[in-house]
Amino acid sequence: MTAPRDGAPQPAPLGALRAAVPTAPCRSGGPGVVAVALSGDQMETAVHALALSGGARLADLFALPAGDGLEAGGPELALHLVYALDHDQTYCRLEAPVTGPEYARLSDAAPAAFVEECEIYEQWGIRPAGDKHLNRIFLSPLAAAPLRTAAPVTRRARPGPGEVRAPHVVQGEAFEFPVGPVRGVAQESLYLGLVTTGEELLDAFLAFFHKHRGVEQQLRGRSPDGALFLVERTEGPGAVGNGLAFARAVEAATGMVPPVAAEATRLVALELERLYNHAAATAALCQATGLGVGQAQAEILLEECLRLNAAAFGHRYLFNVVAVGGVRRGCDAAELRRRLPVLCGELRRVSGALLATNSHVDRLEAAGVLSEAAARRLGLVGPVARASGLDLDTRRDHPTGPGPAGRLLVPTRSTGDVLGRLQVMLAEIDETERLITDWLAADAVLPAVAVAVAPVPGSEPGTGVREGLGWAESSRGESLAFVRLGPDGRVVAARQRPAAARNWRAFDDALRSRNVFTDVAIIEASFWLTVAGYAR
Amino acid sequence: MTRLLTPSPSDPAVAPTADQLRAQVGRLFGRSLYIRTVDTGSCAACESEIRLLAAPHYDLHRLGFFFTPAPRHADLLMVTGPGTTGMAHALRATHAAMPDPKVVVAVGACALGGVYRQADDLTHGGVTGLLPVDVLIPGCPPSPLALLQGLLVAVGRLAERIEPARFRIEGAEAP
Amino acid sequence: MARWFLRGLRRGVVTTRYPHRPDPEAARVPTPPAFDPARLTGALADQLVAVCPSGALERRGDTLVLDVGACTACQRCLPVAGAAGRPSGVFECAATDRDRLRVAIPIRGQHR
Repeated sequence: MTAPRDGAPQPAPLGALRAAVPTAPCRSGGPGVVAVALSGDQMETAVHALALSGGARLADLFALPAGDGLEAGGPELALHLVYALDHDQTYCRLEAPVTGPEYARLSDAAPAAFVEECEIYEQWGIRPAGDKHLNRIFLSPLAAAPLRTAAPVTRRARPGPGEVRAPHVVQGEAFEFPVGPVRGVAQESLYLGLVTTGEELLDAFLAFFHKHRGVEQQLRGRSPDGALFLVERTEGPGAVGNGLAFARAVEAATGMVPPVAAEATRLVALELERLYNHAAATAALCQATGLGVGQAQAEILLEECLRLNAAAFGHRYLFNVVAVGGVRRGCDAAELRRRLPVLCGELRRVSGALLATNSHVDRLEAAGVLSEAAARRLGLVGPVARASGLDLDTRRDHPTGPGPAGRLLVPTRSTGDVLGRLQVMLAEIDETERLITDWLAADAVLPAVAVAVAPVPGSEPGTGVREGLGWAESSRGESLAFVRLGPDGRVVAARQRPAAARNWRAFDDALRSRNVFTDVAIIEASFWLTVAGYAR
Repeated sequence: MTRLLTPSPSDPAVAPTADQLRAQVGRLFGRSLYIRTVDTGSCAACESEIRLLAAPHYDLHRLGFFFTPAPRHADLLMVTGPGTTGMAHALRATHAAMPDPKVVVAVGACALGGVYRQADDLTHGGVTGLLPVDVLIPGCPPSPLALLQGLLVAVGRLAERIEPARFRIEGAEAP
Repeated sequence: MARWFLRGLRRGVVTTRYPHRPDPEAARVPTPPAFDPARLTGALADQLVAVCPSGALERRGDTLVLDVGACTACQRCLPVAGAAGRPSGVFECAATDRDRLRVAIPIRGQHR
């Protein structure tokens, strides 16, 4: 870590921001969030100041109609930038109005913003200044149907058919090998254009638009609970992480505070989600290296994890556990106490045996290498970032409620390869077991068998628009959600940023690091992302 | 397009032949059926459950079912997700590449029109409008056991167990 | 590899005997609701329809139509239904006809 955790009372990146744009009004945006309103021409200055300060990580960028302006004629738009100030336990949310069809290009100072710049162009028709080619992110070139989105306001710019991705040349011995969108059995739809000479991978182009469902538009007009229902089904294996981030966003907007027991129950569910995802990634890695018995062993444990989820929370994938302001279901602590140590012991035995199997480990070492610089530049999160040496974990850096603040061990590796990512995940399993065991032992925050769901907020006549930012450390990394509630308590606009939306952008970098064709499946398993979380 | 498992026509002249044909195809598929899956925008939970069918706990090979990556070798198509417009073409192409006779199974509440209720320019609100679906497996996601039952129904080895009476609490004391 | 072979053997058989025997794990998964027509009033039916996030419930005159296909078994309706509802316990929901998944539940409570 570069900057000290303690230090000046004014956090360094915030200080740099205030010095760069002294006139911008700065207010609290809920616990752990600072909201800064910028004018259109201040935005570029602020982005540069934060980029130079160090310690500010661009976590998300999106555009929404300014204020509650939802008139059909075409609302004023505002850009929202979410910076994570990881050393200062703060998220900094910048909002700047955009007038006209262009805004200052942000991806020069903050390269992580490029995907979102493309996304904003497709969604709202505004683009960064300059003639940079924008890639197609969400809109399929094949979907020629007229626009009939349920959302009242989207100014979708339909890019021309040529604008699918940046022009590129595949020449010499190389050719582009198309894989997908219909891929292996029970794999998610994804197009992979692998540029190869037959063995070595030279480049890769990914297309995600086949699965785009427009979830964020579908959230508009729903009650917070109805929106949470869809948020959980955006990315099934991230239901708790994304759902918790969304619930916390609504709670931040309405000032609700979930009961301590409910919060502890949610965190147990979040850790169980981490456990089964890491077991699933282990199984997928064995499948990718062709270690059949290891795969079977890991799949047995994955199934046991899912059965434990069902026994403790009534759902194999922990849907319907998180609720706005609490939990919908309690947790069967007795089942957890009885089965968790056995399961984690088995997981340790299998993973130990895997790490002692040379034919397996040799395939993982030095495959899919991501440098720390690349991980930082692209704003990666979760085990992928931690395996490349970024010491990030929102559970520690942005604590909420009765979390494990201060005593959470965050495993990191510096190799940045597949083996590093596997080692990080296996180390996290140990930490997960310790956390759940601690919560089960602590009487004060013992997960209750049933915690009443608080009434959905804002049903009483409120005062205007309320906004909130929420976050959670899902198994794939930091999941963010932003929500704006109308006076009637319904969702006016929402933004979801699952960890998968972040980490896929490093996948082609990892593929390019001198790998061969058969490494693709191994690298994909080690990232353990979902297409659903990206193409939401 | 062959639709194997659609209800027999009520016409008494055709119905017995249709029933006979269905039973025959069921027998053909009964012990060796190759499955191809297509995801049309699912949340990845259905995919996870389908993958687990081949895992030791459920081991669908013991029942004579196998997964195949090649649609040209496949007899049965499992479709998940709400039918995104981006996947519609790939889904139809996969279905067309499968040899006749073939069976289509829609998996999960999304595919059955439950989560994305209305068709818009991004999803078809379910896959039932995209392909002739023979078997529907509800659930969010359907558990591997529910998937197994659906597959066995698809080849005629298990009867459908869906009865309206099981969703009505009858005979309870009146309040 | 021999080590893995032995490890596999040691683990023993975990495979379910379903469909020849019922699987105990089936009882753990969430199932669509079942409703008691005698306790179902028109007002309650309307509340249930309003609370369902997946559009699986629809009021048609004197019946409540439960669409098992659209139901995600999220069980948001059960606290509203109280004594008039409980999980059906039916996990074998596969059907060959979309309409077979639409279950009509008469609303008898409103006459009392």
